[in-house]
Amino acid sequence: MAIPKLYQWLLAASTFMAAWLSYVLGFFQTNLRHEYHEIILVLPIYLLMAFASYSLALLGYRVATFNDCKEAAAELQEDVKEARKDLERIGYKYASDWQ
Amino acid sequence: MPGFGMDQAVGWSFVSLAGFIFTYYTIWVIVLPFVEPDQPIHNFFLPRFYAIAGPLVAGVVALTMIGSFIAYVSWSKKVKKS
Repeated sequence: MAIPKLYQWLLAASTFMAAWLSYVLGFFQTNLRHEYHEIILVLPIYLLMAFASYSLALLGYRVATFNDCKEAAAELQEDVKEARKDLERIGYKYASDWQ
Repeated sequence: MPGFGMDQAVGWSFVSLAGFIFTYYTIWVIVLPFVEPDQPIHNFFLPRFYAIAGPLVAGVVALTMIGSFIAYVSWSKKVKKS
């Protein structure tokens, strides 16, 4: 079952919109309390806001817990410096060093 | 390397902002209809009209900015090529 995530989301969204539209346009009779009716009317925008805040939270969480290894970065800088020295010894000229 | 420690702060601020937005909006839209109109909690929330109008206007503005940015980039690329 390798249905892409996008298609899954679209299927869920269109199913929900079909059900919601049929309620809003009065395709069937209901006897709901006034408060429930109000909430159902607003549901699409509410779910959109919930999804947006979930995305924002997930994004922030991944940014905050990103595993940056400082020692590996420092080591990489050292390797770059060494490589530059070796290359300049052989005679390689860097464009950024032109006078 | 700018902002090594700042990344975590920015990330967690996003998380707390998202949590606040979600909680506020949920109480506004889902909880308040069940609360009697004379309870003091209603003073913390605008009339429900803005629960729809706010996100709608913000969404339209965001889509307009994104669309104009895309149009500007593709137009300037076309000018550069010709």
